[in-house]
Amino acid sequence: MTKMTFRKLLAATALTGITATAVVAEEVDYGKFDGYTLRVKLIGGAQYEPLYARIAEWEAMTGATVDVLSRKNHFELDREIKQDIAAGTLDWCVGSNHTSFAPQYGSIYIDLNGVIADATLAEFQALALENSTVDGRLVQLPRHSDISNLYYIKSLFEDADNQAKFEAEYGYALTPPETWDQVKDQAMFFADAPTFYGTQFVGKDEAITGRFYELLVANGGALFDEDWNPTFNSEAGVEAVNFFKDLYEAQAVPAGSLNYLWDDTGLGFASGTVAINLDWAGWASFFNDPENSKIAGDIGLVRAPKGSAGIRTGWSGSHSFSITESCDNTDAAASFVTFLTSHESQMVEATAGLLPTRAAVWDDAKAQFTADGNDFLVEVFETYAVSMAEDAFTPPLITPWIEVSNEIWPQLQAAILGEKTPQEALDEAADAARIVMEDAGYL
Amino acid sequence: MANKRPPFWQREQYTPFLLLLPAVLTLLFVVLLPLLFSLYTSFTGYRLIRPESLWQWVGLRNYKRIFADGDFWVAFGRTIIFLTIALNLEFLLGLGIALLINKITWGQRTLRTIMMFPMMFSPILVGYQFKFVFNDNIGILNNALQALGLSDGAIPWLVDKYLANFSIIFAEVWMSTSVFAILLLAGLFAMPRDPLEAAKVDGCNPWQVFRHITLPFLMPFVFIAMTIRSLDVARAYDIVDVMTGGGPAGRTELLWTMIARVGYDNARMGQANAMAYVSILLSIAFTYYFFTKLLAARKYMGGAE
Repeated sequence: MTKMTFRKLLAATALTGITATAVVAEEVDYGKFDGYTLRVKLIGGAQYEPLYARIAEWEAMTGATVDVLSRKNHFELDREIKQDIAAGTLDWCVGSNHTSFAPQYGSIYIDLNGVIADATLAEFQALALENSTVDGRLVQLPRHSDISNLYYIKSLFEDADNQAKFEAEYGYALTPPETWDQVKDQAMFFADAPTFYGTQFVGKDEAITGRFYELLVANGGALFDEDWNPTFNSEAGVEAVNFFKDLYEAQAVPAGSLNYLWDDTGLGFASGTVAINLDWAGWASFFNDPENSKIAGDIGLVRAPKGSAGIRTGWSGSHSFSITESCDNTDAAASFVTFLTSHESQMVEATAGLLPTRAAVWDDAKAQFTADGNDFLVEVFETYAVSMAEDAFTPPLITPWIEVSNEIWPQLQAAILGEKTPQEALDEAADAARIVMEDAGYL
Repeated sequence: MANKRPPFWQREQYTPFLLLLPAVLTLLFVVLLPLLFSLYTSFTGYRLIRPESLWQWVGLRNYKRIFADGDFWVAFGRTIIFLTIALNLEFLLGLGIALLINKITWGQRTLRTIMMFPMMFSPILVGYQFKFVFNDNIGILNNALQALGLSDGAIPWLVDKYLANFSIIFAEVWMSTSVFAILLLAGLFAMPRDPLEAAKVDGCNPWQVFRHITLPFLMPFVFIAMTIRSLDVARAYDIVDVMTGGGPAGRTELLWTMIARVGYDNARMGQANAMAYVSILLSIAFTYYFFTKLLAARKYMGGAE
């Protein structure tokens, strides 16, 4: 960057409210890169696109042009980046990244410490930066964070008839769940397949591995011991698998759950046919929008419940931007990623319910929601702020994470479908994970 | 004065080789070299994200792992079953459609065009279309069955061991039956009328005409279509990946969904290439079988051997 006035940025973002953000947009100097074309690969999808509308602003400010080489979902982008590494065609500068994916890419991305000014980095949440660090290198600048909390249909819990029946059957009052055992009871109580389901879960890929992982931790287990031996085939692991299996067998979740990913569960909850739904904040606005959702105005939200060890589930990660080692204009790239993660950019994303990684944006976004009279988003931000601060943990930030995950999830499916016992399935997954860890040099 | 011999590239006996050279070079660079390269990588621990691992020679380790891997062989067997069912269904339906279209005299061109619509879609779109049709909760099929009172539960089309494979075969057949229909229709158009008329004069009933004249004449076309489609289906990936991703619990795992996961998601390209080489045997076997049948069919018809 030629001359970036980070002090102004710092001063401006210290203020709160929308007026302050408007000032920031004008005052920050993102440098001049006349005639330069910045080549980028970005994650695409409805929830990510609104931010990209701002790219034109950066182009106007800096005189550079942005050439978006691809805009795909993260799994496809990941394949493309791996092909680029193999073919030696990393001839682009900025790529979307994610805390779960970043450790695989080795040293193709630069350490942003020293490239992004300290003053800018200081505005990010310490935990978000820590999770973006691999082997001591800050390989990505966090864009927004991701953690899940529990949404539920309020009227179901407030219904006196439901309350009386539930208490008679389970011996305790029907209130928004505090533990995963309660979630299981309530899901079975509300379920009336095939027209209505108690809850649902994502059933394949890293999605279900992540859900298993957070429940394993909440039950007091761990994926690996300190020497990287797989330990998820423990009692806590079996207990976690049984949670999914019991719900599936009781038909408290849709029969096709094992084929579901995030869109399926999000749209399912919005369709009003599911009572309880663990999901990220990115859906919040969608769920509460009468045009898209049948449960708008009838949604409750509580922190993710606790497992048997008294720990809350909190699988977390951040979407982020990285700059390649082979980039021919690091200054322009740094200016671009700083712009896309700036205070005002994060305000744009926060409006959709995406969780900011800059500390100040949490307060400013909440102030804006309050001013707009959007009490639901205020509640969302308050709940997610607590879980980000107290419950968040990432998967192990190791190169073979996705590979280990690919050994775990087919076995979880086999156990849920009853093809193997949970213990057999986890033992097989642990054996396969051991080979992966050995090949990767961890064992 | 003795005639000076022209340089060798101008000599007559070399001309054919010279003319063939561009084709040979193209094949060499576009087909053979990449094949040799991928064969080489199947003996290495090549991982996409570690370009230097290209030189890590591991001998037969990848192949040993594959031969000891039960999941691979289950996927291998499932691919053969998938191939057999899909090809036969496509053949029967394609033959039926071709015979029917051959009968009509008005609107045939329009029908032929309409028939080819499914082929015009990308397999990925076909996958999404049927993923929606077969969705257990919001899918059209389950909703239709429930509305008609034929089912009172949510049938897990994409989860049940048999139904999931059925759903994928259905999508594959929907998309590609027209390949058979078009090729067989071409065969019917090219068919000489004389033997048919002679058979009728001799008093053959329609079934006898079909069984002993039409079908044998069509068989070479059938086997060409089978060969093309067997190579296509053996590489089935897009539809399966979109509809089930090979799951759940590997119930719909075919060779190429497995190879793509190993090669890209797990970045173990060396091992994936070894799997690909083993699975190529399958394609070679099917192609060889159909070509043998093709030659036999042509011989039966008195054609070239």
